[in-house]
Amino acid sequence: MAYDDDFDGSGDRREGGAFRPMLRQGKRFSQEAAHRPILVFEDVFKSYRAGRPVLRGANLVIERGEFAFVTGPSGAGKSTLLRMLYRAENADEGRILFMGKDIARLKDDSIPFLRRNIGVVFQQFKLVENWSVFENVAVTLEVLRLPEKLVRTRVGEALERVGLSGRGEEPARVLSGGEQQRVAIARAIVGEPALILADEPTGNLDPQLAIDILGLFEEIHEQGTTVLFATHDRTLLEQRPHRIIVLDEGKITDVRRGLVTEDGNFLSAPLH
Amino acid sequence: MFDNPSHATRRARQGILREWRLFALSIFSLTVAFVCLGAALLVMTNLRAIETRWTHAGRVSVFLKESATDAEIEKTKVALEATAGVSHVTYVTSEAARDEYAKNEGNANDPLLALPKEAFSPTLEVDVDPNLDDKGIEDMEAKLGQLQAVESVETYRTWTNRLARLVRGGVAASGLLSLVVFASVLAVVGSTIRLALQRRKTEIEVLKLVGATDAYIKRPFLLEGSAQGAAGATGAVLLLGVLFLLVRGRMDGELTTLLGVEPTFLPWFAVVGMVVTGALLGTIAASLGLRKLVAV
Ligand SMILES: Nc1ncnc2c1ncn2[C@@H]1O[C@H](COP(=O)(O)OP(=O)(O)O)[C@@H](O)[C@H]1O
Ligand SMILES: [Mg+2]
Repeated sequence: MAYDDDFDGSGDRREGGAFRPMLRQGKRFSQEAAHRPILVFEDVFKSYRAGRPVLRGANLVIERGEFAFVTGPSGAGKSTLLRMLYRAENADEGRILFMGKDIARLKDDSIPFLRRNIGVVFQQFKLVENWSVFENVAVTLEVLRLPEKLVRTRVGEALERVGLSGRGEEPARVLSGGEQQRVAIARAIVGEPALILADEPTGNLDPQLAIDILGLFEEIHEQGTTVLFATHDRTLLEQRPHRIIVLDEGKITDVRRGLVTEDGNFLSAPLH
Repeated sequence: MFDNPSHATRRARQGILREWRLFALSIFSLTVAFVCLGAALLVMTNLRAIETRWTHAGRVSVFLKESATDAEIEKTKVALEATAGVSHVTYVTSEAARDEYAKNEGNANDPLLALPKEAFSPTLEVDVDPNLDDKGIEDMEAKLGQLQAVESVETYRTWTNRLARLVRGGVAASGLLSLVVFASVLAVVGSTIRLALQRRKTEIEVLKLVGATDAYIKRPFLLEGSAQGAAGATGAVLLLGVLFLLVRGRMDGELTTLLGVEPTFLPWFAVVGMVVTGALLGTIAASLGLRKLVAV
């Protein structure tokens, strides 16, 4: 397989891996890779406690460049599903193929290199409060040991994309919730990852801000990045005609487009 | 450059500045610990200098009676020179003894120098083969004691033996003390690093999230640990230096006369060794404290 060693070998080198060039226009582009789904779950089982599985044979295919909502009642396993993708958790059984590589079998040493291909955004923002906005975004690139000048330019671009141009020097803690989440998004996209995971990114924001943030993820998606957006906020789901993946009772059910709700109980009775 | 160590240095510096109280407390504790060790080393250094001075002096001082005539003294000297194990005999007159004292002392106001020359006894300073055993020395002492001109004989042997025992005990005690000090350095730096780790939990989570390797995350903490250890040891050396100067300033004359050697500070390699040991222990302590990084 073409990508087998990418998480391990390409290590510190940005352009060395096979991931990024495929996603960045004007770079080496692999036809074969473009047709392969970016993410496949095959009969994935996961439980934290014996007898109480969170995932019971979950199957899922995400194509390159998709935007998908992940939804389901609280405790259904949305966060667990996302955490398995950046290997904060590991599957008990089954395969999780990310760009063709089974990340459930990844050695611990390779996990950092997996994470360099995935941007993650949380409900709680997870910013380092006493770092500046710039430092909070630059950390993604510093870990890759990019030259300082390049870091500066690209952090500037990322901040511009999230609407925070010129705010780099401010300490992260003085920003409003919505602004902090924009910084977190800038941190997630500045490395131009193949996949963006957002775990209830609007959970701490008021409705209008939530829609703005959703719009931001949609803009990122339009640039070619695959986005998985976990939320249980139905207003957001109803807002846009994206693919909806429903997690319930340990299984994944797919609602391809939009969501027509009548009785408010759609999660346990997904529509087809 | 591919590898950029400046990130680690910068993050270590930021970490120390942000948590300076924590680090100051840690360095202070380490200084106290290293002062104990350094003081023990300092005492040992000087005891050893004294021991070496007296053991390898291979010397016997024959104090002569004031009434001794030149002929008697000459006879004693010749007899001594003929004795087995004696390599050289020097006659030191009262004036010479006082001049010698004045030269070593270098302080014109010393009240001892104002005394008449008779206060310093004339002696025969005997260079003895350093390999001469205690029996030989005792025989010599007994024979000399019977001579007319001889007031008393100082072989320095009991004094050297006692000193040697003291030095041996001191070495053992210092060894034990250094174990205690090392353990306390490990405990202090280890817990400081664990606390720093706790306070910078989000920072570590973020670093892990964006794909930093464990080595990259740990490096600044290791630097902080080694900086603490080195700073603690340096602080101890400086503090000891000040204490040493204070003590020497007050007791120099008496000490020198009494012991026959100048009080010395720790040799440079002991100072460097202490700082390097501090840095090394700090690094080890930090890496022990970092065994379990925050899970993400
Ligand atoms: N670290 C953990 N240890 C034990 N149980 C956990 C852990 N994380 C999540 N769970 C449990 O797994 C289930 C799914 O949790 P989660 O993935 O957070 O759901 P969601 O994000 O959909 O609300 C819940 O029942 C939760 O209590
Ligand atoms: Mg959740």
